[in-house]
Amino acid sequence: MSQAWLPLVTLATSLLVVPLIFALPERAWGARTVLNLGAALLKVLLVALMVWGLYQGESFHFSFTVVQGVTFLLQVDALGLMFAGLSSLLWLATTVYAIGYLEDSPNRKRFFGFFSLCVASTVGIALAGNLFTFLLFYELLTLSTYPLVVHRGHTKALDAGTTYLRYTLTGGLMLLLGVVALHVMVGDVTFGEREMLADLGPDAHGLLTVLFLILLVGLGVKAALVPLHGWLPRAMVAPAPVSALLHAVAVVKAGAFGIVRLVYDVYGISLTYELGLLTLLAVIATITILYGSIRALAQQELKPRLAYSTISQVSYIVLGISLFGPFGTVAGLVHLMHQGLMKVTLFYCAGNYAEELGIHRIDELNGAGRRMPLTSIAFTVGALGMIGLPPVAGFISKWYLGMGAVQANMPWVIAVLVVSSLLNAAYFLPILYRLWFRPGPAHGVGEWPDERRLGRFETSGWLLWPAVATAVFSVMVGLLAGVPFSPLDLATFVTAEEYLP
Amino acid sequence: MIERLGLLIPASSESGDLGAVLSLLAAPLVMGVLASLWRPQHSWPVALLSLLPIATLALLAHQVLAADGQAWLIELGALTLHWRANGLTLLLLLLTQVVSLASAAYAPAYLRTEIGSHGGQVWLWPLQGLLLSSLSLIWLAGDLLSLYVGLELMGLAAVGLMLLPGRVDALAAGMRYLLLALVGSLAFLLGVSLLLGAWARLDLAGLAQVAEPGIVLWVSVALLSAGLLLKAAAFPLHAWLAPVHGSAWTPVSALHAALVVKGSFFIALQLWLVLVPDAQVAAWLVGAMGGTAVVWGGLLAWRSAKLKEVVAWSTVSQIGYLLLGFSLLIGTSPSVTAVAWEATWLQLAAHSLAKAGMFLATGNLIFSTGESHVKGLAGASRRMPLSLLSFGIAAISLIGLPPSAGFTAKWLLLHASLEAGYWLWMVALALGTLLSGAYIFRVFRYSFVEDAEPLDYRRVPWSMELFALLLALSSLLLGLVAEWPLSLLRPAGGGP
Amino acid sequence: MPPFLDVLLALTVVALAALALVDRQLVRACSWFVAFALGVALTWLSQGFLWLALLEVVFGAALTGSFLFYSLGVRPGAVEPRGRLSRWRDPLPLTWRRGVLRLLPAVAVVIMLVMALADFGQVPGPQRLGGLGLIFLGLWAFALHRHLLRRLLAFNVIGTGIFLILMALVRDTTPAAGHGLVITGLVVALLGTALGSLLIRRLNGLDASRGSSVTLAEQGSG
Repeated sequence: MSQAWLPLVTLATSLLVVPLIFALPERAWGARTVLNLGAALLKVLLVALMVWGLYQGESFHFSFTVVQGVTFLLQVDALGLMFAGLSSLLWLATTVYAIGYLEDSPNRKRFFGFFSLCVASTVGIALAGNLFTFLLFYELLTLSTYPLVVHRGHTKALDAGTTYLRYTLTGGLMLLLGVVALHVMVGDVTFGEREMLADLGPDAHGLLTVLFLILLVGLGVKAALVPLHGWLPRAMVAPAPVSALLHAVAVVKAGAFGIVRLVYDVYGISLTYELGLLTLLAVIATITILYGSIRALAQQELKPRLAYSTISQVSYIVLGISLFGPFGTVAGLVHLMHQGLMKVTLFYCAGNYAEELGIHRIDELNGAGRRMPLTSIAFTVGALGMIGLPPVAGFISKWYLGMGAVQANMPWVIAVLVVSSLLNAAYFLPILYRLWFRPGPAHGVGEWPDERRLGRFETSGWLLWPAVATAVFSVMVGLLAGVPFSPLDLATFVTAEEYLP
Repeated sequence: MIERLGLLIPASSESGDLGAVLSLLAAPLVMGVLASLWRPQHSWPVALLSLLPIATLALLAHQVLAADGQAWLIELGALTLHWRANGLTLLLLLLTQVVSLASAAYAPAYLRTEIGSHGGQVWLWPLQGLLLSSLSLIWLAGDLLSLYVGLELMGLAAVGLMLLPGRVDALAAGMRYLLLALVGSLAFLLGVSLLLGAWARLDLAGLAQVAEPGIVLWVSVALLSAGLLLKAAAFPLHAWLAPVHGSAWTPVSALHAALVVKGSFFIALQLWLVLVPDAQVAAWLVGAMGGTAVVWGGLLAWRSAKLKEVVAWSTVSQIGYLLLGFSLLIGTSPSVTAVAWEATWLQLAAHSLAKAGMFLATGNLIFSTGESHVKGLAGASRRMPLSLLSFGIAAISLIGLPPSAGFTAKWLLLHASLEAGYWLWMVALALGTLLSGAYIFRVFRYSFVEDAEPLDYRRVPWSMELFALLLALSSLLLGLVAEWPLSLLRPAGGGP
Repeated sequence: MPPFLDVLLALTVVALAALALVDRQLVRACSWFVAFALGVALTWLSQGFLWLALLEVVFGAALTGSFLFYSLGVRPGAVEPRGRLSRWRDPLPLTWRRGVLRLLPAVAVVIMLVMALADFGQVPGPQRLGGLGLIFLGLWAFALHRHLLRRLLAFNVIGTGIFLILMALVRDTTPAAGHGLVITGLVVALLGTALGSLLIRRLNGLDASRGSSVTLAEQGSG
């Protein structure tokens, strides 16, 4: 109880920014920028403080009773901190990027207000200590992303928003039903008290299986598991920072993170294994991985291809979880971080191409490497990481996934990994080939669709540096995976907690 | 259950105790009449005169909380009236005052800018005072005569308020409402007559002891319920609601949707708990009506072309939630009733605050754009973020998304339905959530349209913005701090 | 008073109510209603409820009557007005089919009431039967007619029927409570009628000034 204020303050930094941003007039560009960046930096600092505290063995709790038997609980554990760390880091980058991206566009106040609300909900999801609190922020996330998805306000965006709501509100409802049912059975489900459900005995197994499925549907919508993925490619109409956010940090990750919580902290890995649900998860993840990759191959535009790639890649997390054994767990958790870093890089780059050169289709990318070298290098790093080449972060994920498959005695998963990596290569390598080896407008062949020359460098600095930074990070976490405080280290820490009693 | 209603509290003998409760009842009426000396377009008399009712409530709360509930006997010749107050009564009184105060504070600027000098504005404050007094009487009353008086006064005051705009459509809708209200009160009176004839007493605590199941009891309960549910706009007796709201003044609409329908609901629930506490099958019927109301009201709201109609039909849907809670309180196990009890009152409070806030915000939207149609809002999010934000915050509570009071109430309702094994109720709640999401986000979809023609926006006075936002925020925050008001519902000794 | 007179009185009251409810001539219907109210006052007197009789004369007959006449625009020496709502004849035609169909709710309620009253186990007196008759007539008229004034009349008749039954039920046990309810009911009925009459006049005024006379009554009564 000693450090109740830290998680609360972390949450409040972005929550309190919201009314401030709404109160500022639309034209107060400078003040808003300072506010946004200040809050984002402060949050990184606070999360770092909590990571440090956790390694020191301190515990952070904040709770109060909402109604009898239901508690609002913020608590800090390694898993939550991983997610909080990821979101706060990428948030900083995305804020910088969004400031540059939305320069001179209308409704920036609205955008940044909901943007901050979105990060507040993500941090809330990360720090939630029980299912009720998790649900609270999970739904808040739905609400705060809707205005971002429809931000452009044209029919396509509005339709995408409606589709998004249809999926996520229904998903949220399923989650609510499942959480209430669990609550009726055992009371408040605090994360980390895994014996609770296991103690119910074999009589409850049927019911628990049904509830798991209901909860999985609720979480699977946001994690874009096939067949609940329909909203994600359509939400591509949103501005690039929003896509980056939906795909890399907030929404899909909230779903994936929820599944991690469900398996490890609500049901507990052994109970899930006992119920035979891990195999089910593995099958769903496999289907999603392959389906997403195949659909990605068919896309002719850059952002939809990245979107289907997300569907496929997020399921690596689920696949890792479904492998019973420490290596699988490490793989799933570490990929939660790695995929975020790499995918956010790719989306920044896609946004840069669109902003600077007006490129939306893949066949327009010819020779862009020469015109925008840094962006293209960043893109290449992200793409190679997705394929799983060392030394980029994605290699570590796939390596541990493979080891986990062996450990869980599910060798077919390795075949899935191989096929999926080949598919990844099949849809990323042609892009890289076009970027670097095809002659394009930069070589005097043809013209860019809409060239704008946004800044001193190859594009505006606000857009360029976040992409470069996340690309560098993607390589660093791969190279320095063995260093303390790296994602791998954190994931191992979490896994040790899970498997060692 | 009747001890939860506070009906078993022994009456205190000293008559001096009556001062607080009498002044609580009289203050709104007196102040309303006094306030009519000034034009309602001035706001300072409202601010000043509304202090007294609040002070009387504080005084009463002080007395009641100190004694863990209080009851009074009022002797009028051979007639004895029974009044009582406990935690629930206090909460309902507080809710009434808060909503009424917000609506009153909203009204002056609204009348000044939107209405001008039309309509019977002189009558606004006296009628609102009467409404407040009669509602307070309903919350306090422990016998059928007081309830009848309160119900009638409330009905007449409500009709009067609805008629104030004086336009043809308001008068036509008001006439219809008047006739329905009168029929409803006749049914109520007939039911009361049968009860009085059969058991020769009007006090609820006494009736709870002597009333025996039989045809007289059932006929009277049926008559009472029909009358009350008609006034509460419960499905299928809801058709009068939207036309009435369509033409009424915005603060009056807020008051009506938030409080008046709740008064009838409260009486109905109370009578069932007193007269037929174990009638599970009949309660299923009420619950089924509620479930249908949730879905049907949602559909009506979804199809509505006008903004005010969306808000008005959503009341039908939300009353449906209350009826679901109602049915979970009759004849179910104690563990279910303990949850459903809190769920019902929380839902009532959540809906009151959110709906009042939403009506005020809707009034702002209509005022600002000059458009009463949903389609007229196209592009509104560019210009009126604050009104739209208030609307949105209130909507969160109506849909039942966290962290609003509507969500917490729905959580409790789901909990109770699941524990009671009422699966269909859960389906109704789920459908209601989706439908309310659909009709709310339909409004928002229009507001986000970017390529709409720019409208001619009028600036909304700050007090109108402020009170809409405050009500909406209170419905949102109540969700997180629900434990405080709900703890008042439990007996002080602890335990359910 | 011998029971024979009681029966006669009850019959008269029911007959007057029927006249008030079916007469096509609205001014005449209102006059029948005043006569009906006086008959009810006599009934109260015969029961020994002096106060109720007095109130009935003042509220039921005098005040309600004046409001009803006011709504029609009747005053000494007035010529027949042309407004739709204050026209002295109810212009909406009635058909047998509709008349029969609208009987159903009234019959249902009365059957329910008869069953409940039968459960009391006493021999029903003329007041109770008269009250039932009034409720039946009133409900039927309320469902049948579209004209606002006639609905107000029907409402008053139902109310009176309820008062009669109520007082018959509680005469021997708790007359005080019965008085309380009836007096409240009378006041409410009066206020309701007053509000309704004012509304009819006002609607009529707006009606005439806007010239769109066809739809208003429908809107108001639909």
